[in-house]
Amino acid sequence: MRAVSSTSGGAVYDRGYRPYAGPRGARGAATWALYKATVRRALGLRRSWRQKFAPFVLLGIATIPAVINVGIGYVTRDQPVFDRVELITYREYVGVSSTLLLFVGLVAPDVICPDRRQRVLPLLFARPLTGADYVLAKVGAIASILFAFSYLPQVVLFLGNMLVSDSALSYFTGHLDVLWKVPLAVAVLAVFHAVIGVALASLTDRRIVAGAAIIGTFLVTSIAASSIVGGNEGGPGGSGEYAALINIIALPLYLRDVIFLGHVDRFGDLGGVEHGGWLALALYAAIVGSGLGVLLWRYRWVER
Amino acid sequence: MLADCPVVDAGPLLRLEGLTKRYPGVTALDGLTVEVPRGRVGLVGANGAGKTTLFRLLLGLTQPTEGRVEVVGLDVGADPIGVRTRLGYMPEHDCLPLDQTAADVVATFGELSGLPARVARQRASDILDLVGLDEARFRPIGGFSTGMRQRTKLAQALVGDPELVLLDEPTAGLDPLGRDEMLALVERLGTFGISVLMATHLLDDVQQVCDHVLMIDAGRLVVAGATETLLERTGLVTVDVGASAARLAERLVAMDLEATVVDGLVEMTLRDDDELDLLRDVIAELGLPLHRLSTRLTSLDEVFLDRATGGVRS
Repeated sequence: MRAVSSTSGGAVYDRGYRPYAGPRGARGAATWALYKATVRRALGLRRSWRQKFAPFVLLGIATIPAVINVGIGYVTRDQPVFDRVELITYREYVGVSSTLLLFVGLVAPDVICPDRRQRVLPLLFARPLTGADYVLAKVGAIASILFAFSYLPQVVLFLGNMLVSDSALSYFTGHLDVLWKVPLAVAVLAVFHAVIGVALASLTDRRIVAGAAIIGTFLVTSIAASSIVGGNEGGPGGSGEYAALINIIALPLYLRDVIFLGHVDRFGDLGGVEHGGWLALALYAAIVGSGLGVLLWRYRWVER
Repeated sequence: MLADCPVVDAGPLLRLEGLTKRYPGVTALDGLTVEVPRGRVGLVGANGAGKTTLFRLLLGLTQPTEGRVEVVGLDVGADPIGVRTRLGYMPEHDCLPLDQTAADVVATFGELSGLPARVARQRASDILDLVGLDEARFRPIGGFSTGMRQRTKLAQALVGDPELVLLDEPTAGLDPLGRDEMLALVERLGTFGISVLMATHLLDDVQQVCDHVLMIDAGRLVVAGATETLLERTGLVTVDVGASAARLAERLVAMDLEATVVDGLVEMTLRDDDELDLLRDVIAELGLPLHRLSTRLTSLDEVFLDRATGGVRS
């Protein structure tokens, strides 16, 4: 370091350039860095309060049912067990998490479209990063946030129920299955929404178009499925009920039911379809696989 | 995940062997074979000459149709990721996230280059200071001028401590002051031990800061060599005698010497060294102030035009 000028009060230093000789990561480190940057961006961290508003309001909304449920449990804690009101079950609460679809419609375009629109991709791929690493970081970041936003309210619900129960230990030991069913069902939901959201967002560089495409795809398939199933003249188990599978909002919820109940909900749209659970699983895998295929194709950076 | 950075022998900066890249209907690069030493290297060529294709090949972002590329001692085809950990890249076009601060962007690219997070933030601060953006580092890039954006682009290319930075038209869009400052920064990189490959069509920029030149035209190598060896003497001397240029030229012509006034300076063609003595004597005899007397060299423009049209290779 050399002083380039000095005054009676101090000196201005030209710090020059210091080479870096320490440890250096490769692909894994670059992917992790992109993952962290994407999570920060999605949550609005290091950005203005307006960018933080949407994600944290949505987290708050997703947590409201848990708080109400625990509150009711607290108020009715002195009543006999059978008289206590349970507003929402853990299984149903996973379904509430699908309201985070709105979050995907807002955030997936925000973390994907600017990279293409502002031509940041050449800078990213000049780093030790491949197209697959990019996809992994982006989908992983969105899926992680969706998982956290769906799982944290469930934790609130579980801890609250445990604390207002007659015996916290009995409640805990009596609900051990929840400890694996909830995270698994939430993970199924989070990965599904993240892959579809990121894949659709990758097809355009305009955020508004991507957001509309994501919300629209979910809503259109839901409405179409409802119309066909609702007008099913074959009755329960009729061929019209297969149309329930095209409802991609409900598709991960069929798997949720398989996780919690061991089979699809018999009173649901898919209830009368033989091997409905397996069909839902196959379609889920096909959609997630196709989404990942689209993403890998969009970010096949070599040979372009 | 973290590993000590292996030391690579200080061989040539680039080694291209029969490098060819063909796209359907067009040959972007045609059999480039050249070895370029470390230092500041200018990659010169007109638009469409193949500069960007060469950068993509050096970064391992595209595969050569034929031939082989070696960068800082590493075979790009065999280890493109390894090569990219050693390179910095500054594209010509806008490529920065406009809603983020310069500090965040440069630190993130530091991490993407493999630096630990804390080191990346520290280096981002240092590098932004180095490129003159210390005061502005916490402002969103969207509010930056063109010059500030160019500096930020340079900073993100340097933050990973690369052995080689690829600069694509670094002075594009800059005003004369900004251009001089950017070239001064590029010139300083050499003193930090960082090699530079600067693609440009502005030959003056190359002449000012580069010690080697690589000229390509329509995908073919025109000439490669040290800048000073390409700038041959023209046999012309340029004389600055202030406002008396016309008077001096008139006297020289009267003495059967070849002299003209160009932009207020006298340009005289020397046939032998005796004529230089004669010139000195005439200036003294007329009592003219001699501000400057220099031998005029060919410009890189002249070299490029001569070699490109003549097809001569060194």
